Amino acid sequence: MIALLFVLALQLKVPDAEQFVGPPKGVPITDVAVLDRRTHEVGALLRCPVCQGLSIADSPAEMAVNMRGQVRELLARGYTQEQILGYFERSYGQFVLLKPKFNGLAAAVWILPLLAVAIGLVVVVSKAKKLEARVVPPSNDDPYLARVRELVDKE
Amino acid sequence: MNRTVLIIGLLIVAAIVAILFMGLGKDPAHIESPLIGRPAPGFALKAVGSGETIDLTRYRGKPVVLNFWATWCRPCWDEHPVLTANAQMLGSQVQFLGVVFQDEESKIRSFLEQRGWAYPTLVDQAGKTAIAYGVGGVPETYFLDRNGNIVAKFAGPMSAEDIQSNLQKAMK
Repeated sequence: MIALLFVLALQLKVPDAEQFVGPPKGVPITDVAVLDRRTHEVGALLRCPVCQGLSIADSPAEMAVNMRGQVRELLARGYTQEQILGYFERSYGQFVLLKPKFNGLAAAVWILPLLAVAIGLVVVVSKAKKLEARVVPPSNDDPYLARVRELVDKE
Repeated sequence: MNRTVLIIGLLIVAAIVAILFMGLGKDPAHIESPLIGRPAPGFALKAVGSGETIDLTRYRGKPVVLNFWATWCRPCWDEHPVLTANAQMLGSQVQFLGVVFQDEESKIRSFLEQRGWAYPTLVDQAGKTAIAYGVGGVPETYFLDRNGNIVAKFAGPMSAEDIQSNLQKAMK
């Protein structure tokens, strides 16, 4: 019976990470405590696709549980964090990464406002310099100022 | 200098507005699959009922409609008769496959016995196949062309028109 189940299990084939991100580039993790910690750390970087802004490390959803299981299995086989994130990104796109990559449109959204602020600062500084240059020293011809000076000198 | 700075500033603001505007018309629930145009992840899963192992490569040479669903998913109930009718209508021209995940085989069998079926339904243990396809919820359907490449993805319950329009891409 066990042999039959084993044969049946062998017949089943599920998509494997090796197909998409190659063989493991890291060291297999055998220590259960380390495996638990790394699974949580890598899981915290992956978005649960059926939740509202939760990582798979924090979500109790079955989908997240399955994804956590897969992260754990891949870590145990020696896949690196980068390979694991790459595997999930290949299926779900950048959406699945809780820390999006700094490229494409995502980079433009960050860079353009900073550029706008920098240009704004340049404008403000140049305007301030011009205003400073325009400050005219008080003229001695002003009768009002001459009277003030006279009164001050008397004091 | 002022005019140059003003033009650059306006261009930057226009670019930011354009980027934000591009996102306005999008359905936040719709996520474009990065798998479109790529080979479909291969699998060989057990069919409900017959217990036969069905390998996706078996259907190379004909378009495949790969539907991920579950018995606990209410919209899947509505979609099931639409898929069944289309599978019956298209016959051997197109292969329909159901992949059930996060479910129990006894419930799947009972569902199919009550509502009928026209194509194999496979069980995805631990959801590995669903994860490889980037399934975020059910129902979700992938359309594969004759060469086994994913040409379209549909999230949510499909109408007959949705099936036909996506199948056109797969049958090209």
